[in-house]
Amino acid sequence: MAEEHDFKVAVLPCNGIGRLVSTVVRLAGYRIKKERPEQVVLLSSGRLAVQDPEHLATFQKYPVLVIDGCRPHCASFMADELGKTPAGRIYIADVAAENRIAIAGDKRRGLTEKGEKLVDALVKKAVAEVDRIIADEMLSTL
Amino acid sequence: MADKVCLQPCLGLRKEAVLGRQALYVVHEDMLPDETVLGCGPALNANVQEDVDFINLYPVLAVEACELDCATKLVAKKQKKAARTIRITDLAKGLNLDLEALPEEHIEAEDPAVQAVAKRIAEHVRELLASSK
Repeated sequence: MAEEHDFKVAVLPCNGIGRLVSTVVRLAGYRIKKERPEQVVLLSSGRLAVQDPEHLATFQKYPVLVIDGCRPHCASFMADELGKTPAGRIYIADVAAENRIAIAGDKRRGLTEKGEKLVDALVKKAVAEVDRIIADEMLSTL
Repeated sequence: MADKVCLQPCLGLRKEAVLGRQALYVVHEDMLPDETVLGCGPALNANVQEDVDFINLYPVLAVEACELDCATKLVAKKQKKAARTIRITDLAKGLNLDLEALPEEHIEAEDPAVQAVAKRIAEHVRELLASSK
């Protein structure tokens, strides 16, 4: 009997609150899911931090793409703490640099066009990573 | 005697969590900037010193989106006890808010629902400060 495969990527955005980039990462998470609704499972850093069993099971089941907002790389820390090497990591500062987007002056509680540009760039990069990870998973079964 | 309260949101993904985080920006930035600090869950989990200091120095008001109480549990994971836990679901019920009518993903800080929830959270902060005297 052929083995059934469930090719998905668990996306773990840091979903912090303290920084302006926290808002960028949070919004990007939802939109990544919208872009790839069947391929992405969105993880809550809140639930994972306390090892909620259902969330932990999802984290362990699928390859993970972490998205870090600021220097402590909290989403990466969480993945490492839970003993799993992410299949991909994105750091928002890299995305900002690659796309030459500056968001100084935007506010945490709501982004302007500047911040939305960075969200779009992050979503684009993350979706490409999701596609790559799934392709890698699929090819590894052949 | 505490001169500040640490606002610790759960930072989940559901609508109630979004309502909570936006309300906390209003509380911390507009209503009680000198009386509150804003705790970041992922940073606390990663032992970022500032966030660890927050929960050690100040009484923690855990602001939860649901009954999973992730913020309260995270504070406990770091060996502290939240001074008070409140749930956005309960606040919304008490305020007769129609959560169905709110947008997903993002709610403007000026939204009456955010402002109303922020007011209630600010009341909890004042109570905690008063009780710590």
